[in-house]
Amino acid sequence: MALIRCCFEPVELPEFFDTFVQKCTDPTCCCGCCSALRPRYKRLVDNIFPVNPEDGLVKSNMEKLTFYSLSSPDKLDRIGEYLYQKASKDINRKRYKFVEIAMEAMDLLLQACHAQTTLNLFVESFLRMVQKLLEDTNPNLQIMATNSFVKFANINEDTPSYHRRYDFFISKFSAMCHGNHDNVELRDSIRLAGIKGLQGVIRKTVSDDLVENIWDKVHMEKIVPSLLFNMQFCVNVLFVKKNLIASGDLTPVEDATHVTPPVLAEEVLRELVGRASFGHIRSVLKPLLTHLDRHELWVPNTFAIHTFRIVMISIQPQYSYTVVETLMQHLDNNFKSSPKTRTSLAVVLSKIIAIAAGESVGPSALDIINNLLTHLRTSVSTTTEITNEESQYQEALINALGEFANHHPDYQKIEIMLFIMNTVPDLSKKSKGDQMLQNILLKSLLKVGTQYSTVSFEKAFPASFLQPLLKMARAPHDPTRVIVMQIFQALLDRHQNEKVLSYVTIKPYPALSQEPPSRSDIIFTHKYGANIMQALIDSMALSDRIESLASSYNTAALLIVEMACGETVQEFLLFILGIQQVALTADLELEVVHKCNLHCIAIALMSLISRVTGVNNLLEYAQKIIDARKEEAPYFLPPLLDPKKTGTTKMNLGLPHLTIDKIALAESLQNAGMDSNRLQTGTPYALNQTDNPAHRHSWVDTVSNPQLPQRNSSADLTAYNADGDSVTSSPGVSKKILAPEYNFEAMKRALAEPSEAMKREQRDKQLQIVRTFREGNFEDLVRRTEPKHDLIQNRLNDLFNSLAVERQITQSDIKTQQLQAEKPIYETNFPELFYY
Amino acid sequence: MEDYKFLFKIVLVGNAGVGKTCLVRRFTQGLFPPGQGATIGVDFMIKTVEVEGEKIKLQIWDTAGQERFRSITQSYYRSAHALILVYDISCQPTFDCLPDWLREIQEYANSKVLKILVGNKTDRDDREIPTQIGEEFAKQHDMYFLETSAKEAENVERLFYEIAAELIDQARSKDGTNVNKTTADAIGLGNFGTKATQNSCCSGFSSNTSQTNCENGNSRSNT
Ligand SMILES: Nc1nc2c(ncn2[C@@H]2O[C@H](COP(=O)(O)OP(=O)(O)OP(=O)(O)O)[C@@H](O)[C@H]2O)c(=O)[nH]1
Ligand SMILES: [Mg+2]
Repeated sequence: MALIRCCFEPVELPEFFDTFVQKCTDPTCCCGCCSALRPRYKRLVDNIFPVNPEDGLVKSNMEKLTFYSLSSPDKLDRIGEYLYQKASKDINRKRYKFVEIAMEAMDLLLQACHAQTTLNLFVESFLRMVQKLLEDTNPNLQIMATNSFVKFANINEDTPSYHRRYDFFISKFSAMCHGNHDNVELRDSIRLAGIKGLQGVIRKTVSDDLVENIWDKVHMEKIVPSLLFNMQFCVNVLFVKKNLIASGDLTPVEDATHVTPPVLAEEVLRELVGRASFGHIRSVLKPLLTHLDRHELWVPNTFAIHTFRIVMISIQPQYSYTVVETLMQHLDNNFKSSPKTRTSLAVVLSKIIAIAAGESVGPSALDIINNLLTHLRTSVSTTTEITNEESQYQEALINALGEFANHHPDYQKIEIMLFIMNTVPDLSKKSKGDQMLQNILLKSLLKVGTQYSTVSFEKAFPASFLQPLLKMARAPHDPTRVIVMQIFQALLDRHQNEKVLSYVTIKPYPALSQEPPSRSDIIFTHKYGANIMQALIDSMALSDRIESLASSYNTAALLIVEMACGETVQEFLLFILGIQQVALTADLELEVVHKCNLHCIAIALMSLISRVTGVNNLLEYAQKIIDARKEEAPYFLPPLLDPKKTGTTKMNLGLPHLTIDKIALAESLQNAGMDSNRLQTGTPYALNQTDNPAHRHSWVDTVSNPQLPQRNSSADLTAYNADGDSVTSSPGVSKKILAPEYNFEAMKRALAEPSEAMKREQRDKQLQIVRTFREGNFEDLVRRTEPKHDLIQNRLNDLFNSLAVERQITQSDIKTQQLQAEKPIYETNFPELFYY
Repeated sequence: MEDYKFLFKIVLVGNAGVGKTCLVRRFTQGLFPPGQGATIGVDFMIKTVEVEGEKIKLQIWDTAGQERFRSITQSYYRSAHALILVYDISCQPTFDCLPDWLREIQEYANSKVLKILVGNKTDRDDREIPTQIGEEFAKQHDMYFLETSAKEAENVERLFYEIAAELIDQARSKDGTNVNKTTADAIGLGNFGTKATQNSCCSGFSSNTSQTNCENGNSRSNT
């Protein structure tokens, strides 16, 4: 193939031919018109070069050339071409001073003529010139060329050249960023030039998608590592890779007075990230992550954190979420890496996640939570044994989760807690892995919980959250229960009393801060207090370990401090009596020390509530028991005894006169002029009575059969009747409660000898409960998946409002629901709630 | 005079210390650098050669063999017309790594890229890889093969000249007929410096550009 290239060669044209050439539209047709005479533009160009190169550009002649270019813009391309040819020759002859002058002239022409429509053609020569200099081994030429390129990059061209490519420049500038000259000063100058060059390319191309797509993988994979490579050796991260410096290929730059490669590289990275639109973020992040991987910059992660912080503060805020997401994906890809690496990654995540939190609301927020939980789950399920390092990783993830949640408003924290709660495997899952998972997820829930500042219990404990939490409070595994207790403590403790109440005592707690419960607190206590106390009783019976008991005590004590008042005191007293009764129930086969400890807790809580409510008569009664116990049975008084260290031979437990007596309590209340009806008619709490968030008061009155000592396990089905006080209307469910005169001994008997009829009746009821439960849950699902609410808060409100309505639907629509009632509870509880 | 018919991009890859930089320096500067330090990132050299009366400009990208620079070096594979894969005949591990390098090439380079396997340091008397083994490996993987010594300047010129000649052949067979655009794209040759296309400055050899080049070149020659 023959290529016509005559215009490529300097074409010698006589001056009088100028007009002819001007008419000639096709630049390739001028071949053969050569003559010995030099055209004017050539003479003008020649004249700008001095005789002695050291004299530099001949200024006056340069002005002439500029003037000529402006008045005959059609000559611009030839001028450019001619300058280029001259410079090429000079480069080959190593006459670098002349090259410099040619380049300077081109710069000046570019500046002067940038408004010309013919500039495009000149730019071609200009860029060829720049490339020519960059190709040379002489570093000074390279630096000079870069400076010219940067000037060019800052010029706004009127008509972008779509065909212009910057591949070479990006490749070469990136190579220069890795400059490795023996002379450190020169090396840094080359690196700086490389970085500046890249900045120039970015500026030149980024605003116009039609020009080179700078975000292309091929380019980003050069630009991003080149910038990071320079940033890596910033003074403040020097210690990160001492070994590299020691190996000699890198020397730290400490001079802060002038711009150093790390400083400039960071600036350019900021600019790049700041200009990235949504579709481009990943093109930047992917090579960034690869670089951190390859250069092993995760452990230690100082540099990684530094880099990601830069990314987060530079990125357009609405995209910050994508960074978090990408980092989490990277964590995914690293699931086989050492726990150390994963921990480091998770720590980086926790350091930047807060910045993203402000920008991610609704679905994306829960996406992130879900993702973190998935990582936790993976960590638990893939490791047979949790090593120290692995648990550090989990810890880091939980911290990230906490950090994230912390930057959300409280109402979203509740959402997040609800969400996490729904991911906790229920107690039917008993494998070791499930147990670990329960703990880990509850721990992350706790992390969020500790950052929530409770104002109203109603808001902190929505029914859908409280119910599963109470179930977990009965987990057989001690550590699990302790975490659940801590969650309760975190959410109950509005007055920073948790530490104060961490030990069991009958003495007044110093520094206990208190505030009378509000109307809504009291309503909450009526609604749910019983459920919580029920769970506490169960948890106290489950283990004799001091730690567990103390944590249950702490929760109970906080409950009392936050909620006890004249209106609720009777309920709490029934609870305290219940604790005592567990200790007295012979067939529970609790250890002796365990029983003693329950007595301790009961009396300590009684002292506490007497002081909190200020009922002196109660306090006096408590003091009387305490004094008697001091004499006869000090082991019935705090501190809690360690079952492993306590000899039990001398302990006499059959001391009924040392127990708290219900009638005496009622009298104390009466003497104080308080109502004692509830205390007299109610039964003390007992074990294994599952939740009933409905008003206990309301069905106390429905007592129909004092012979049946169950508090009624069917209470489960009222889980949905948060407002429901009409439980009696539920089909076939009868409310039974002990008659006031029913004493402990009788109850013990009844418990020990359940009749066949009772058992059957109970079974039937349980069946019914199960069904209703499922149906109710399905109903829940239906409501949750209704895509109508945008705002989480709206949904929450709605949730509460709809509860009452729902109950009716549950009852009227049972048949239709049964069809779909088989859905696993998990599915129904899951994130759909959050996606609308 | 600055004038060449073709510009080819050649990328050197291979383990650290096999002598890539020395090969390039020997070829472009005619010397064997004493105490050549490890390459950081990527190095660039240019050399214009004359093959069959044509001036050919060779852009040579010398990549660092060190693992940590792999991320940036890979990005240079894609636009290469020829890839020189170097190992050290006196160092078995550098030969054993060849399959890994091929995988990288497969992943990041153009599928039609010209591949040349080079066993360097033939001057050394502690050879571990017999010529025949290298040759067979090259054959198996569809590569050209040559043994060199950067130190003794053995086969170094030949290496680059043969690459140039081969690339010219490839370019001509595509350029002349222009029947199959996709193969033309794949090799991505551009006629750098043809002012007719206004495309001379930045040597963009992506498929689009080369296609434009071919078309314009043809239409010009027809006029
Ligand atoms: N005897 C002998 N030594 C060689 C030859 N080529 C290179 N070397 C030596 O091998 C060592 C490494 O050479 P380099 O050219 O730096 O190797 P490289 O492949 O560029 O290494 P990286 O840049 O780290 O990837 C140097 O000490 C050279 O002197 C050769 O042909 N013969
Ligand atoms: Mg090297």
